[in-house]
Amino acid sequence: MLACGPKPRASTPPDAPATAPTSDSKTSPEPAKAAAHPAPILLRGARVMTATGVIYERGDVLLREGKVEAVGAAVDAPEGVTVLDVAGKTITPGIIDTHSHIGVYASPGLTAHSDGNEMSSATTPQVRAADGYWPQDPQIDLARAAGVTTMQILPGSANLIGGRSVTVRTVPDARSIEDVRFPGAPSGLKMACGENPKRVHGEKGGPMTRMGNMAGFRTAFQKAAEYKRRHEAWQAKKDEEDAGAPPDRDLGMETLVGVLDGDILVHNHCYRADEMLGMLALADEFGFRIRSFHHAVEAYKIADALAEHEVSASVWADWWGFKAEAYDSTRANAAMLSAAGARAIIHSDSAQGIQRLNQEAAKAKAAGERAGLSISEDEALRWITANAAWALGIHERTGTLEPGKMADVVVWSGDPLSVYTHAEQVYLGGALVFDRNDPNIRPSTDFEVGQHQAAGDVQ
Amino acid sequence: MRLIYAMLFALGVLWAPAVHAATLSFSQAKDAPRVAIVGGTVHDGTGAVLQDAVVEMQGARIVRVGPGAPSPGAKVIDATGKIVTPGLIAASTTLGLVEIGMEGSTRDTAREGGDAIRSGYDASVAVNASSTLLAVQAIDGVTTAASTPQGGLLSGQVAWIDLLPGHHHDIVAKPRVAVAGGLGQRVSGSRAATLARLAEVLDDARFYRSRKAAFDRRASRDLSAHRLDLEALGPVLGREVPLVLEAHRASDLLAAAALAKDLRVTIVGGTQAWQVADVLAEAKVPVIVHPTANLPGGFDRIGARLDNAAKLHEAGVTVGIAVLGEAHNVRNVTQQAGIAVAEGLPHEVALTAVTHTIASAYGMEADYGSLAVGKVANVVLWPADPFELATVPDAVYIRGASIPLVSRQTELRDRYLKRHGAR
Repeated sequence: MLACGPKPRASTPPDAPATAPTSDSKTSPEPAKAAAHPAPILLRGARVMTATGVIYERGDVLLREGKVEAVGAAVDAPEGVTVLDVAGKTITPGIIDTHSHIGVYASPGLTAHSDGNEMSSATTPQVRAADGYWPQDPQIDLARAAGVTTMQILPGSANLIGGRSVTVRTVPDARSIEDVRFPGAPSGLKMACGENPKRVHGEKGGPMTRMGNMAGFRTAFQKAAEYKRRHEAWQAKKDEEDAGAPPDRDLGMETLVGVLDGDILVHNHCYRADEMLGMLALADEFGFRIRSFHHAVEAYKIADALAEHEVSASVWADWWGFKAEAYDSTRANAAMLSAAGARAIIHSDSAQGIQRLNQEAAKAKAAGERAGLSISEDEALRWITANAAWALGIHERTGTLEPGKMADVVVWSGDPLSVYTHAEQVYLGGALVFDRNDPNIRPSTDFEVGQHQAAGDVQ
Repeated sequence: MRLIYAMLFALGVLWAPAVHAATLSFSQAKDAPRVAIVGGTVHDGTGAVLQDAVVEMQGARIVRVGPGAPSPGAKVIDATGKIVTPGLIAASTTLGLVEIGMEGSTRDTAREGGDAIRSGYDASVAVNASSTLLAVQAIDGVTTAASTPQGGLLSGQVAWIDLLPGHHHDIVAKPRVAVAGGLGQRVSGSRAATLARLAEVLDDARFYRSRKAAFDRRASRDLSAHRLDLEALGPVLGREVPLVLEAHRASDLLAAAALAKDLRVTIVGGTQAWQVADVLAEAKVPVIVHPTANLPGGFDRIGARLDNAAKLHEAGVTVGIAVLGEAHNVRNVTQQAGIAVAEGLPHEVALTAVTHTIASAYGMEADYGSLAVGKVANVVLWPADPFELATVPDAVYIRGASIPLVSRQTELRDRYLKRHGAR
């Protein structure tokens, strides 16, 4: 199912004549062969929230060949297509979380499962979350059952530069990361401002201060700029007689060059307004873009600057106060970003929170309205779908219900902004991968097998 | 039901000026003006629902609940179309003891230093009425908290507080309402060692309690804990206050249930409680759960599930609901209750689970947790279902006074709305 199997990966044997600083793939590969598509299905008669600004109070969605084929007030059922009456339900795009550590901080939280922070150095751009991802983490099942179809798995925030993220789909029965990579998704780079790198590294070589943090970023990107220049210079004259041997390859530097080239998207854990502005200036200095600030508890203070720089902010509805940089919180954060024309996202950073991103969006929407800001249902839905897809660079493939998008769809028991609503069915590439009312369609990971009365036994 | 309330009403009028427990930190002003909330749908916190009832407050107490017209001279608050509930109570929280979680200088949540027996640690004297967290929760309908020390096997004594910022002298309604602790691997890396230590300390406390004079003469056997820690266990042994134990694994829950033969026990957490629900029901041990805690986060939490509360209720266990481990957001207890309802807990039971059940689990039901004559006037007016995500209160009364619906968070919001010209 949903084979997004690996293409042969580019690799450069150490003794091969290198042509360029051949990178680890900066995007997840496309499927090597056409997947066997699930049977087409027409979901009929639900409230359809498309996350494009259009809501059909009564609409139909046709899923075929892994894609959304048609969406509208009335879609004719092609011959032979199964029609499912979902009157009274609500259909949305699959939920997307820009910030998860599922798979790299798995449940149970054993010491053996702590694979999300390579704390051996404050700057580890060479590591990849994909290499730490455990596809048998039972948290994956819980996220899928809550309507999550795509999530970005990030290294933790112990390091200034924590390594590459990977965007995955909640595909059941995966044997390795290669079964779940979001096809064509760009890599992300996790960077972290503020307290965490200071706290983790302060006593073991630094950085110890916010001064040290910024110096660490600048040093790394300066090195990357020089690395890029060296390799480009060699590339330009490699066919000449005196070209000499290619410069040494450095995997971490390749990742940072990917950022400088705009191929790898920066996801920057950063809470305070002043630090976010500082990071925007640093990015300008070295000529790269930040795609999303994560946590961004003070984003509302600089909503105008975020809008102007076209940087998204992945925020919580209301987590706050656990540390000093998370003190100046307001539940209206996302709404104030939307009102200022910035791209707001509700993220989880939590295997519990990922199970109710729709509810978190509902709280943030209501808080906006209490502040006098008008937030449409569609906008609140975009916080957990279309805007998240943009932050991950996959917005042309998922995040809305439009013809041609992946058939990643949730059928909710009612209004997804109500506390009482459940994700009833989850479709991934048109395949039904979760059904609350059918115990046979509740995939479980190997971990849950044989555990006495494990969660997977019953919803 | 209406008849019963009519009787209560009659009695209320007679009793009202006299009824109040003398044990709380604040007194009742006898000639305070009356405030009557009229026209609302009153959910009293114990499961009863009264349409178009009057809830009348005088000073810090409720003086009347039932049908009829407001008393002459009472200030009338029109709650037509609204829902009236008791103030919600946050169980097992460090609210009042912490400002910023990771900053030790703002945290008085634990007596640190290694000894697992800290029952003498009295949280009430550390409660900070200046904490900005208080208003953040209060404006969302949480009026009261069981401010609870953490860590060790016996963490300390719980303070019962009303969320009244600035009330330095009387924010603590009642100190030392319970002793809090936890089972699991709390001592010597072993749950068996933990239970053995608990048994030893309780035995020593019993010994100390009956031979204090001998102890003072140094004519006692050696005791395994400090005098003050043993002293604090006296009310637990006398069943005057409950022992509130966090426990998750079935074996620990059974151990807690066994303690309930001699002591008043409340369980907090209870991840695997649904697996031993019959025993917990039989032992009449209330279980306060965090409904969304469904991760198999450790091998003592295998089987964690969203419908724990519903299954416990079905089995006859008294279920409380709380936001555990996050003082800053105990306001989300409404969302937690809503999720428990979505997973099968009856709505009225869920409301009881965040009001009356919590009060009784801490032995405070004589004064808190329901809308009834003589109870502390912690009352919330909601425009709609309190558990829905868009609902926040229209008014919150704490000890009979309407609180301003502002917090540091709303003020920061408004400051920046103004700066950005949105207001």
